[in-house]
Amino acid sequence: MGMAFFGPALVLLTIFLFVPMVLTLVFSFTDYFALNPGLTHFVGPENYIKIFKDELFVQSFVNTVCFVLIILPCQGAGALVLALLIHKVTHCKKYFKVAFFIPVVMSLAVVSTLWMQIYSPEGILNTLLHHVGIPAQPFIHSARQALPAIAVMSVWQGVGYQMIIFLGGLQAINPGLYEAAEMDHASGWQKFKDITLPELKPLCVFVFITVTIGAFRMIVQPMVMTGGGPSHSTYTMVYNIYETGTVNWEIGLASTMAIVFAIFVMALTVIQSVLTRDKEERHVNKKTKKG
Amino acid sequence: MKKGFAVAASMFLAASCLAGCQKKQVQPGDVAGFDPGEQYLSLWVHSIEDTEEGQAYRQSVDRFNEVYNGTYFADIEFVPRNDSGGGYSDKVNASVMAGGLPDVLTVDGPNVAAYAANGIIQPLAKLSQEEKGVYLESILEQGTYQGQLYALGVMESSVGMYYNKDILEEAGIEVPEPGNPWTWTEFMGILGQLKPLMDEKNGYPLDMSFPVGEASIYYYAPFVWSNGGDLVSEDGLAVDGFFNSDSMGEAMEFFRGVVEQKYMSEAPIEHLFESGRAAFKIDGAWEVNTVYQNYPDIRLGVAPYVVGEGWKGGRYTPTGSWAYAASSDTKNLDGATELVKWMSGVESGMRIWELSKTFPSTYEAFEQIDVFQDDENYRMLYEQLKEYGHPRPKTPVYPQVSASFQQALESVALSGQETRQVLDKSVERINAKLERYTRE
Repeated sequence: MGMAFFGPALVLLTIFLFVPMVLTLVFSFTDYFALNPGLTHFVGPENYIKIFKDELFVQSFVNTVCFVLIILPCQGAGALVLALLIHKVTHCKKYFKVAFFIPVVMSLAVVSTLWMQIYSPEGILNTLLHHVGIPAQPFIHSARQALPAIAVMSVWQGVGYQMIIFLGGLQAINPGLYEAAEMDHASGWQKFKDITLPELKPLCVFVFITVTIGAFRMIVQPMVMTGGGPSHSTYTMVYNIYETGTVNWEIGLASTMAIVFAIFVMALTVIQSVLTRDKEERHVNKKTKKG
Repeated sequence: MKKGFAVAASMFLAASCLAGCQKKQVQPGDVAGFDPGEQYLSLWVHSIEDTEEGQAYRQSVDRFNEVYNGTYFADIEFVPRNDSGGGYSDKVNASVMAGGLPDVLTVDGPNVAAYAANGIIQPLAKLSQEEKGVYLESILEQGTYQGQLYALGVMESSVGMYYNKDILEEAGIEVPEPGNPWTWTEFMGILGQLKPLMDEKNGYPLDMSFPVGEASIYYYAPFVWSNGGDLVSEDGLAVDGFFNSDSMGEAMEFFRGVVEQKYMSEAPIEHLFESGRAAFKIDGAWEVNTVYQNYPDIRLGVAPYVVGEGWKGGRYTPTGSWAYAASSDTKNLDGATELVKWMSGVESGMRIWELSKTFPSTYEAFEQIDVFQDDENYRMLYEQLKEYGHPRPKTPVYPQVSASFQQALESVALSGQETRQVLDKSVERINAKLERYTRE
């Protein structure tokens, strides 16, 4: 009977997920061209060699990594700080929770359009800067500032989600631990370092991995705000895959990029989870192996 | 056994849901209005039915069915597309692979070459000189690839060099007559003359930017054409010696000059021209309507599009829009051609203007619409289109050419990179995409 429930999902998953995944892998070894599928040839690893020689692919890769490197600490730490603050306040707790969470609910396209106004040469941010005596900044219109500007916006948009996760974690910590620490005259920092952080560790790992993967998939913001420019400074890997496949119709090449991208993200996730694994856990694993 | 049945049943259920998408042969009576004895023609358009544009298509198809009652029946399907062309083109791409292309479909002007080169569309049935003569030369040019006419369109477009009459009067600058445009050097001089005045107004002489996407090549390729250059070769299969030619480099450096002299803002400022803080603006024909509707205080004028030093009076101004073409799958080329002609014809053109304020593509439609006679700005744009309209580069790798042009502008004009190097790199990148067409 279980199969009756499972079956439809399996069929749909096969058609819309597994088959496309396998096809992507197959296409990545061909020169499949959307406008002329009849002329498709098997080209072996040629695409893989091609994309690593392609300056634009390398640049989109570097851009994406830079973006992740900015996002990860800001969003992780930002979420934790916000969660700690909200956990502390006694008044208007709900208000703050909602206020910080609202951007998460908003569509990224809407948020991007909103921030284009904020970042515009005569927008609110430049007006504020003007009042404190800083000259107008080009933000998303400059090759140097565009990526960080988009990263800041993305943190603002996404941080509420991780904040809620951390908040849930904070509320689940046994208050007895803090009481015990207080009896030992532990300072606030010590309590944070020795109780809060270790207790939140599993959540931190989760937040780290989800933020990383989410950041790697960035496409909406540059698509709406900069079109990947200026001078390709905000051109990301997913954007590159999208353009190669749909604008330039080169499905084969786009598939290759998608495979490389998937392998990279998977590898990174494995490394992350190994590095952040609990020491005790590793210790236990060793023991059981020996035993 | 029972389990096996359950699995089979559920799989059947899911499979039948999907099979519902399968296309089937349409029979008379299946669609309201499709009568026995009529030939069925399917048509895809890149629009949403609820928009003004969609309504214009719907009405044109209804009229076609009235006029050709007993001979043809056209069935229109609306396939929405997003800004970058996805959605609609995804559906076309999928049908290229799986079959099921309609008899007639819309194609964006610059994509005619790629669709033709890859056998998605076929040349239209032969049109007489008289039939062709109805259409603006630019629309015929846009639809022609390798000497054959593939597409006609109902919409044309134009770009204006708009100016603020008050500001130019204040500065004592006279705008030249249509056949005698400013050259770059002259125009640079004028911008320089306007600079102090515009500084006073906290603005810039020129409101322009190099936006990502189609707009950059559409607005600024004329600077290359009017300078005696071209972006691609005649057959559209070579760029070396064209995209990196001297005329191209000079155009890029002209824009760098504009940026360096601070005649324009490096980062686009919204409504700069509309708020009276810029003397000139380069923008699509829709700008006229925008100014008339929303900024009645601005006294708008259209100046002739600026030309390069060596301009010899040839065609160079921006044109182009979505067009209709017959797909390679159609078994009824004559019927498809009739539909293409009708949808692009005079009546359809007047309708598209009336409903969505998009320029029509036939001489007669322009002449019958009063505003193109009475309003000096619209008349200027029409004259420019008629006399000087030039289609965008016709090459199967158009998307790459368009993107490279915008990037080159950005790199040379805004980031100040070395022109030659930037253009050579663009050629390399476009050549990589051309390989597919040149290796056979």
